[in-house]
Amino acid sequence: MEENRKMICSKCNVALEPARAYFSYLNHSFHTDVLRCPECGQPFIPEELVKDRMAKVEMSLEDK
Amino acid sequence: MRFNGNVVRSTSSVCPVCLERIDARMVERNGNIYMEKECPRHGAFSTVVWKSGVDYSRWIEGAAPLGEGENLKCPNNCGICPEHRSKTCCVLFEVTERCDLSCGFCFANKSGANDPPIDELRAQMERFIVKGETLLQLSGGEPSMRDDLPDLVKEAKKLGCKYVQLNSNGIRLAEDTEYVRKLAEAGLSFVFMQFDGLNDETYEKLRGRPLFAIKERAIKNCADHNLGVTLVPTVVPRINTDEIGGIISFAIKNSPAVRGVHFQPVTYSGRIPRRPADRDRFTLDELLTQIERQTQGMISIKNILPSRCDHPMCGFHGDFVVQEDGTLYPLSEKNENAQTCCCGHDSLAARNREFVARRWQREPLSNECCLKDNNAAEHDINDMEYFLERVKSHGFTVTAMAFQDAGNLDIERLRMCSLHVFKDGRLVPFCANYLGPLC
Repeated sequence: MEENRKMICSKCNVALEPARAYFSYLNHSFHTDVLRCPECGQPFIPEELVKDRMAKVEMSLEDK
Repeated sequence: MRFNGNVVRSTSSVCPVCLERIDARMVERNGNIYMEKECPRHGAFSTVVWKSGVDYSRWIEGAAPLGEGENLKCPNNCGICPEHRSKTCCVLFEVTERCDLSCGFCFANKSGANDPPIDELRAQMERFIVKGETLLQLSGGEPSMRDDLPDLVKEAKKLGCKYVQLNSNGIRLAEDTEYVRKLAEAGLSFVFMQFDGLNDETYEKLRGRPLFAIKERAIKNCADHNLGVTLVPTVVPRINTDEIGGIISFAIKNSPAVRGVHFQPVTYSGRIPRRPADRDRFTLDELLTQIERQTQGMISIKNILPSRCDHPMCGFHGDFVVQEDGTLYPLSEKNENAQTCCCGHDSLAARNREFVARRWQREPLSNECCLKDNNAAEHDINDMEYFLERVKSHGFTVTAMAFQDAGNLDIERLRMCSLHVFKDGRLVPFCANYLGPLC
């Protein structure tokens, strides 16, 4: 199953771990859970998060 | 004409008596802004338009002043012409001349004549509905006087209307639950309900009878059928200006059934009790100041933005989320770097339409079930997933529209109007359509 597959950091070659990520936009801050490399700290931001949820947050905060 | 004060802007208006177009100046005097004008036949007129609650020049920055030779046909012969600067955001469509109230103030001031048949209205709607776009406002008179209103909603949806809004005093919505059910099933999107205050004295003065309990029942009946209700107070000096905060609190308490408050400072068109003096006017900046004051700062002026789809003097909007503790989380905030002028942008009316529809229409009930307030401890508005759900279910707007009359009509504003009345085969800016002499 896709969701059971481990994500590996291409730089450190270790499995990514769940972590909380913070996003700021127009003086507002939101958090969500993403996967992050425990060694180098690089987070994995899936396309769905960017194109769907983050875009919706941005749209909610922007003037019409 | 000599002006008593500092001229800050030049525009054109009309004589309040004969409605002929005449030059006008915005003049600053004692901190207030007045529209001053002189008709060769009827003399000089002065009307207060801003009362120094908010910085006037900053509020209107970005709005293009009326240039010499521009919009010379306004407001005579008015229909949307190539010189008009805004596209249609909403179409107001009068479906009846009848009403079950006889209000002291009514811009429509209808005759009570028999209703046009539904086929006739359908043929008219065919002429202005743009498939997948139009936001139709059913107006009157009181549209719910028509037994066949649900059929009319169905027809509008069949013709491709994206949103159908009902402008109503709420009486029938309170008394006839079956009627509300039929409207919801026909595809009605949301209700704009006249709501002037929280006590019957206000309604007796403005509407001629006590109505508060009826308003509450109408909201409940709409909620039972998942129809969002936006409260629409007409704000009149010495009658209900001290109820602004109370109305907002009531609306928040009734969220998500109530989607927001849309204030309309009194305008002197149609049926009015008398020709207004300056003390009878309630300017947009007074409203802004009172919203902040009467909500004890929960709503700050910095979270309320001037209209972009219309002229900044025509209205404002504030966008919020009702939190589980009953406070408002502000989404909108004045951004000094934001573009404020929308002249020529076809998409602005469309963006405004989508904004209001997104907020005023309720989510399907199945999507609200997981957001009941009894799990308050588990929720954090900064949690992205929760925030996105809460915006959809408990979005809340504080908006206003300041209509114009013959005393304060400003062609600079009129040419930017995006609320259009369909009349005699043409789309006419709202304030031009209802313009009448102030005698």
